[in-house]
Amino acid sequence: MNNRRFARTAGWLALPCLVAAGLLAWYVTREPATPFAQAPATATFEPALVSRGEYVARLSDCVACHSLPGKAPFAGGLEMATPLGAIHATNITPDKTTGIGSYSLADFDRAVRHGVAPGGRRLYPAMPYPSYVKLSDDDVKALYAFFMQGVQPANQANIPSDIPWPLNMRWPIALWNGVFAPTATYAAKPNQDALWNRGAYIVQGPGHCGSCHTPRGLAFNEKALDESGAPFLAGALLDGWYAPSLRQDPNTGLGRWDEAQIVQFLKTGRNAHAVVYGSMTEAFNNSTQFMQDDDLAAIARYLKSLPGDPQRDGTPWQYQAAATNPDAPGAHTYATRCASCHGLDGKGQPDWMPPLAGATSALAKESASAINITLNGSQRVVAAGVPDAYRMPAFREQLTDQQIAEVLSYVRGTWGNNGGAVDVKAVGKLRGHTDPASSSPIILHMR
Amino acid sequence: MELRINQKAYQVDADADTPLLWVIRDDLGLTGTKYGCGLAQCGACSVLVDGNVVRSCVTPVAGVVGREITTIEAIEEDEVGKRVVATWVEQQVAQCGYCQSGQVMAATALLKHTRAPSKAQIDAAMVNLCRCGTYNAIHAAVDALAKQEGA
Repeated sequence: MNNRRFARTAGWLALPCLVAAGLLAWYVTREPATPFAQAPATATFEPALVSRGEYVARLSDCVACHSLPGKAPFAGGLEMATPLGAIHATNITPDKTTGIGSYSLADFDRAVRHGVAPGGRRLYPAMPYPSYVKLSDDDVKALYAFFMQGVQPANQANIPSDIPWPLNMRWPIALWNGVFAPTATYAAKPNQDALWNRGAYIVQGPGHCGSCHTPRGLAFNEKALDESGAPFLAGALLDGWYAPSLRQDPNTGLGRWDEAQIVQFLKTGRNAHAVVYGSMTEAFNNSTQFMQDDDLAAIARYLKSLPGDPQRDGTPWQYQAAATNPDAPGAHTYATRCASCHGLDGKGQPDWMPPLAGATSALAKESASAINITLNGSQRVVAAGVPDAYRMPAFREQLTDQQIAEVLSYVRGTWGNNGGAVDVKAVGKLRGHTDPASSSPIILHMR
Repeated sequence: MELRINQKAYQVDADADTPLLWVIRDDLGLTGTKYGCGLAQCGACSVLVDGNVVRSCVTPVAGVVGREITTIEAIEEDEVGKRVVATWVEQQVAQCGYCQSGQVMAATALLKHTRAPSKAQIDAAMVNLCRCGTYNAIHAAVDALAKQEGA
């Protein structure tokens, strides 16, 4: 009697568990809806569509992760760190066996905009599908045409991730997506003009600027994906660099830049305020310089509409002449190592050598960018096929941690700069992480 | 654009970001100024701009239009520069000589700003690299020039 009652109770309890498990299994492996589900397979594409797709690939900076220097374009291989182990960007050439040659337009759409590979396998959100979801149907179609017909197939097997079982199971990402990844394409704001909307589309969608410039939460989610959230593009630390605010913060953001200067920076890599460096060099070399002028103007218009935060940014910077004290720690190092290019007055030689007076890296509380560029120098900026004449040299072998901390503390505390002193330990730590010969080199997180 | 070099005007056809060093050496043939590292680290390319020592390899030419440039070729037309060269010869400072035009420019700039520099000031200002290691001779020569002034 008792046994039968127990069995009946257990049965009643098991049923909802089974139903819940079934629903969960369906949810985490389901293929999201796509407007292209019924699209017929296409054998050839119009050249105009392919070249439009190539432009969308530039806007989206696909090569940042999916191409390695000296290797076949889009064959994958870039290593990226996650808290659980390294993952590698995949082969997205139209090779039938190792690439995406067998993808239908619907498969391609699900991967790019929703992070779901054929069969329901979830991609890691290192692929910026929470941004790419904003891409228009037309741009996805063009992008597909480019990858199917504009890219050479390359037979190169994908590298499996280092993440151990059971952490390498992909289905929990579907739950992450449910919480953090939007599902809708960009919808134009009727109260804004076409230029602003085009800028918002590029910045939030293909440009995925927030991948670097928006701070991330505990689950590695971007804290905001559009202008409705104050953390959107408010500046973030990653890969040993501080990606500054792109909002109207006069010190750590674009508050002192006008629209023409934003366009010039993205088109030529330099303006009166700054020269691209760190991860932005790659974004410039591979992506922003190829954007059309009207698209750059749209980006500038949109970014200039994002308000700053005086609480976070502090009192707006103003130039102050340096007090004449050549014996201050760091002042002598500055005079002998830095002043030839950046000037004893800190004003640089714009637009070629950037000023350090008023530079974001000297005003931001985070000192990572200042330390990193001093240790490792800048990468080659290639504008319109021409490499730059002037580049920041690496001082890793010439200056000690103490000397770097002193000279950067001097730079960050002179000419009105108030980023604050640099800790010698922070220099040592970044020196270790960025040493290619070390056992714990810094590995790229996000692009 | 027009450049004023060694009291003469030169018409130069160059991109705005061309390093001044390239214009001086390649376009104008003033080869006394040397190319060393190209990164403002060694000082072999030092010239004077309005009396201040600058490293011409990292000086975009557009930035020096309208300013007075002095190279090693004309340094003896300068009162201080003449004494520096004389002392350099007297003390036989140079070995291979490659860095020495830059060293002479740096010493001239120092003495034009500070007539009788202390040893510490000499150490702080004379930071150009010398592959032969003539640092002791350089410092002795500048020290002798400082003492002439001090006397």
